Amino acid sequence: MLAAAFSRPEIDYHAFAPEIVLVGALLLILVVDLLFEDRARWATSTLAGLGLLGALVPILTLAVDGGDRSMFGGAYVVDNFALVLKALFLIGGYLTVLISTDYIGEGDYYEGEYYFMLLSSLLGMLVIASARDLISIFIALETLSIPAYLLAGWRKRDLKGNEASLKYYLLGVFASGVMLYGMSLIFGVTHSTVLTVIGERLAGGGASVPIVTVGILFVIIGFAFKVSAVPFHAWAPDTYEGAPTPITAYLSVASKAAGFVALLSLVFIAFEGRSDVWQPLFWVLSALTMTVGNVIALRQTNVIRLLAYSSVAQAGYMLAPFAVAGHTGVNQAVESVVTYLLVYLAMNIGAFAVVMAVARKTRSGELSSFGGLFEYAPGLTVLTSIFFFALAGIPPLGGWYAKLVIFRTLLDQPTVWSVVLAVLVGVNSAIGLYYYASVARETWMRPVPDEDRTPISVPSSLAAAIGLCAIATLAIGVVPQIVARFAHLAPFGS
Amino acid sequence: MNVPEWWYLVLSAVLFSLGALGLLIRRNPLVMFMCVELMLNAVNLTFVTFSRSLNDIGGQVVVFFVLVVAAAEVTVGLGIIVSILRRKPGTTADDLSLLKG
Amino acid sequence: MSDFLQAYLTVAVFGGTAGLLIAGVLGLGRLIRPSRPNPDKLTTYESGVDPVGSGFSQSQVRYYIFALLFVLFDVEAVFIFPWAVGLETYSYFGLVEMGIFVFILVLGLVYAWRKGVLRWV
Repeated sequence: MLAAAFSRPEIDYHAFAPEIVLVGALLLILVVDLLFEDRARWATSTLAGLGLLGALVPILTLAVDGGDRSMFGGAYVVDNFALVLKALFLIGGYLTVLISTDYIGEGDYYEGEYYFMLLSSLLGMLVIASARDLISIFIALETLSIPAYLLAGWRKRDLKGNEASLKYYLLGVFASGVMLYGMSLIFGVTHSTVLTVIGERLAGGGASVPIVTVGILFVIIGFAFKVSAVPFHAWAPDTYEGAPTPITAYLSVASKAAGFVALLSLVFIAFEGRSDVWQPLFWVLSALTMTVGNVIALRQTNVIRLLAYSSVAQAGYMLAPFAVAGHTGVNQAVESVVTYLLVYLAMNIGAFAVVMAVARKTRSGELSSFGGLFEYAPGLTVLTSIFFFALAGIPPLGGWYAKLVIFRTLLDQPTVWSVVLAVLVGVNSAIGLYYYASVARETWMRPVPDEDRTPISVPSSLAAAIGLCAIATLAIGVVPQIVARFAHLAPFGS
Repeated sequence: MNVPEWWYLVLSAVLFSLGALGLLIRRNPLVMFMCVELMLNAVNLTFVTFSRSLNDIGGQVVVFFVLVVAAAEVTVGLGIIVSILRRKPGTTADDLSLLKG
Repeated sequence: MSDFLQAYLTVAVFGGTAGLLIAGVLGLGRLIRPSRPNPDKLTTYESGVDPVGSGFSQSQVRYYIFALLFVLFDVEAVFIFPWAVGLETYSYFGLVEMGIFVFILVLGLVYAWRKGVLRWV
């Protein structure tokens, strides 16, 4: 019986090319690392960077080619949404490699494995952008999370690093357990794991209402952990502080983006018909996340922790469009979340990169160590201000456009709830401005601690990453059409 | 002789809650791992039950993947634990408070 | 009573009988044997020598590493069994796919070997 049922699945190798290139690159890194050991350690970071850029090539050809490609009965779809986000993940990964090169090279920790893990995690992200099936979403999520648990604890002789890793791990697996249980309930009621089919069956009614509600609730709570939404954010600040800084940047941007991508496809394809269940939930999550994240960020004296709470708060802004998507329509919500993710990628990695550059000299992440930065590193000071004011949403830096899009989505078809949420976003942006500006004030106006004015030497790859992020942040702020165009492409193909 | 389907579902719900509660309450990292396993296997039970009752092989395929992922997760988790215990024998999750949220 | 519980009745009767039997034998022994308590009788017996240390001992870390490796490769085999069952129907396509899968697994094994994890030191 089984024998007769098998027919060779159609595999579109062009659609899979980005993943195949990435797998090739990461296996090559593993082999090079094993064969040449210490002699070729430097080559691994170059290989990782080349592999990521190489994977971008098929994405470009796919984009030029156009058209949606669907495989395995709709379980794996390469449409514009997937392509835009895959490009985002690859660029984020490339920037992470750039800022890691010297940080990891100078530490006494393994190098080959680091890039191997980083690329494996990115592979999971590439898959999650295309995954339109409960199983493939789950597998992709684990592929991206499991290496991330290890990367968070990369400084394995440092107890802080171990703790960061363990906390991230325990809450991460708890979240996947909860999510998986929700998925099992949804599978039970809808008899399918393919998102489009689930969407039709849920919208069609007839499914057991309480079980569906519990299932959707569990899945969303599972992802709320991944995107560090309050009250499921407890791991984020600790993990961000204990992990190596490049990995913190990676987790706060790429890993969070992956959580949002999976949420977008789950909520807007599979659960679309049940907006009565998820809309209030997202409203509460979004309001709590931005408020709590911002209020706690106010009290931080360590820049890394400040950025950690700021990234929690930013997740709150990104959750806001979900809370109104039932009224405004899916496309607009997807567009605004994707816009925010694209802008956030440039400004947040940039912010972490300048913090790393300064920490090369000061060996500290304390806010006071940034005092008087302007006196000995004027260039870095200007860049710090650019990234932090961009995060605050000051025009003409990139962040304002992202915020504008969120407001536009919230106020497009105003209801009481969406207006209240928009007011909350406004109030929180004002709070955010205060602590982002406090970093800038420290660099411009405060005295230099212990009068050490030796200039900072920024290695070329880190400088390249900062430069790329700064150009992107400024360009998006001045000509927002760049991002708008890509985000407009994004909504799901048929 | 047939066990009604909902018995399995109730059992898996109970197992899942036990695992989740245990993870939140217990403080020994190893016991917390076991609770994670309990949760994942409760999910497996649900999938297999639905798969049987719906006559859909898909549920059992999910179980395959969940099993493998669970093994990978446990390996990584035990690795992390071993590296912590090497530095600090007898650690509980409460002792890990260098970084207080 | 449902069929299901009826089937388990046999098990219950069986278990009950076993319990009764053990209790009967032990109880009988207790009735007829003389009782002379003595602290020496309670010490751990270790081939005539005084016992050293507690009953619990930690197993060495290297057992864990082997156990972890075993669990990983063991579980990957889960994917190979269903493939082996349908080997002929999947023909060359299946063979190539499984070849890629096993190749990646072997790379993992080579990694463990090069890192010296497989050596018993």
